[in-house]
Amino acid sequence: MDTQFLVSLGLILATFGLYIGIAFYNLARKTSDFYVAGRNVPAVFNGMAIGADWMSAASFIGMAGTVMLLGYDGLAYIMGWTGGYLLLTFLLAPQLRKSGRYTVPEFIGDRYRSSTARLIAAVATIIISFTYSIGQLSGSGVVIGRLLEVDTAIGTMIGVALIAFYSALGGMKGITWTQVAQYLVLIIAYLIPVIFMSLQLTNNPLPWLSYGQIVSELQVLDVQLGISEYVVPFTEATRWQFLALMFTLMAGTAGLPHVIVRFYTVPTMKAARWSGAWALLFIGLLYLSAPAYAAFSRFILMTQVAGSSIADLPAWTTSWVNTGQLSVADQNGDGILQWSELVISRDIVVMATPEIANLGVFVVGLMAAGAMAAALSTAGGLMIAISAALSQDIYYRSINPQATERQRLLVGRWSIIIATVAAGIVALDPPGAITQIVAWAFALASGTFFPALILGVWWRRANGPGVIAGMLVGLTVTLIYIFSAQYGGFTLFGIIDTGAGVFGAAAAIITIIVVSLATKAPSKETQEEVMDLRYPEEMVYRDGEVWMKESLDETKVNK
Amino acid sequence: MNGVKFLRKIDKKDADAYFRIRTTLVVIYLLIGFSASFGVVFFAEELSGFSVNGFPFHYFMGAQGAVLIFILLLFINAIVNDRIDKKFGLDQDRKK
Repeated sequence: MDTQFLVSLGLILATFGLYIGIAFYNLARKTSDFYVAGRNVPAVFNGMAIGADWMSAASFIGMAGTVMLLGYDGLAYIMGWTGGYLLLTFLLAPQLRKSGRYTVPEFIGDRYRSSTARLIAAVATIIISFTYSIGQLSGSGVVIGRLLEVDTAIGTMIGVALIAFYSALGGMKGITWTQVAQYLVLIIAYLIPVIFMSLQLTNNPLPWLSYGQIVSELQVLDVQLGISEYVVPFTEATRWQFLALMFTLMAGTAGLPHVIVRFYTVPTMKAARWSGAWALLFIGLLYLSAPAYAAFSRFILMTQVAGSSIADLPAWTTSWVNTGQLSVADQNGDGILQWSELVISRDIVVMATPEIANLGVFVVGLMAAGAMAAALSTAGGLMIAISAALSQDIYYRSINPQATERQRLLVGRWSIIIATVAAGIVALDPPGAITQIVAWAFALASGTFFPALILGVWWRRANGPGVIAGMLVGLTVTLIYIFSAQYGGFTLFGIIDTGAGVFGAAAAIITIIVVSLATKAPSKETQEEVMDLRYPEEMVYRDGEVWMKESLDETKVNK
Repeated sequence: MNGVKFLRKIDKKDADAYFRIRTTLVVIYLLIGFSASFGVVFFAEELSGFSVNGFPFHYFMGAQGAVLIFILLLFINAIVNDRIDKKFGLDQDRKK
């Protein structure tokens, strides 16, 4: 057991102790007005909580590595995952907030007056959350694998046990102050290495301003080595793939059940707008730093690691080679490690860089704690979404309406355990990089929920048969495209698996419109409910007239 | 909505004016946001000719510019919408 192991483990345990401590403190203090308490949280802190919920292993562990290896083409992830908040805050959040439903399947079932649509939405929630959690488990495997210096697969198995336990505790979801603490740990852990590297390489403590200089130097290095240049667009994928991936990530963000839920629980439409704005500011802080992280990592690898003698590579290489994610092989036998002989998995770039840059045991340990917070908090939320969909929407509503509270709870618990283990088995030999697996989840969300929600809110003529057909078609098209692009080599316009959402969404939107128009219009009552979503919360739409809600004391205040 | 005691009928034109302003603004915001992201990506090669702070312009927009514009749009939306609410006599903060 070396110092690094003890420091990393100590920091992981200390931060988790902090989260659990805050959770218990809040529970004990405010049991009586638990729900009210959540609503008194200022929008700034609610924004931080959304940020912690949102930023998973894909953002924390995967993204900078993806940007580093894909160059400009990796920026689709940066713009896609932030731009989604525009769609969400402008087109969906206020209306969904007014509708007053608590989950996405519930909204779809009630809006379209169809229990079949609700059931399909529940199944889609399970498929999306399951896919998403494979990425989280794979991320926890990277962190634990490095911590124990074992193969990533063994790390993943330990991650499965941790996540099943964490989710069974309730995942500490919905406890806003715990999530605020998680956000702070996560962002501090991420910013410290970027700032240190910025100081090391450019003597400027502001990485956002200083890495342009490094990017210019990378261009020169690339030209010298004769490899594809870092900033040149569309070297790793086509222009259409970039646009399709960006659309997929944006639309998926607006359709992800566990993100949307955060906007149902704010007190007013105004709070929904402000929470969305603060959330994107806090998320943006990490997303603006990720390309800087990527540029610094690539620069350090190219200038300090490549070109050194194979015989005296630093200690960090052995630790990472043991996880199976890094390979350094002196292919041409000249005793020197060339840039092309260094094969680094994009999933370990973020975790390995602090060690490569020699930032010290504390920073490396802090990264491990931040990464575990990102992976476990998101995985916990996903598992709860799966268990709610299975036990409430499928088991209770469709299979056994007589089920007791205890039976439902039991179904929920077992579904968490089974889903975690199943996702863990898939993650043992991950079918792709973390960001790629998570992008599939977003593709599925943009092929199912995005069309169903957008049309449900903005087009009153959309009806039950339309949305049932649309979600089924969208789900099928997206799944088939992902599989045939990933395993069959089939592509259209150079769009690969991660851009599948653009086809799913298009197919679903066309299907909903065509089938809705071919079948009976929704009842007058349903159409009025959709009209009602146009107006602010204080206004009610009824029988073609608009009414303002007023209370007696409020009128007095107005006078 | 505990405080609701009665409903007062208002002119539907006023309510629709509110809806129209909101929708127009949202369309404008989305157009700006999409030009900064999809627009710049589509013309990435053409826009790579000049640099901002060491980055070629297309790279700057992808890594920083677009994200900053998105954040700005959301804050502008929140502030402007609060003003519109006030103009239409809506104030959600008063509600308990």
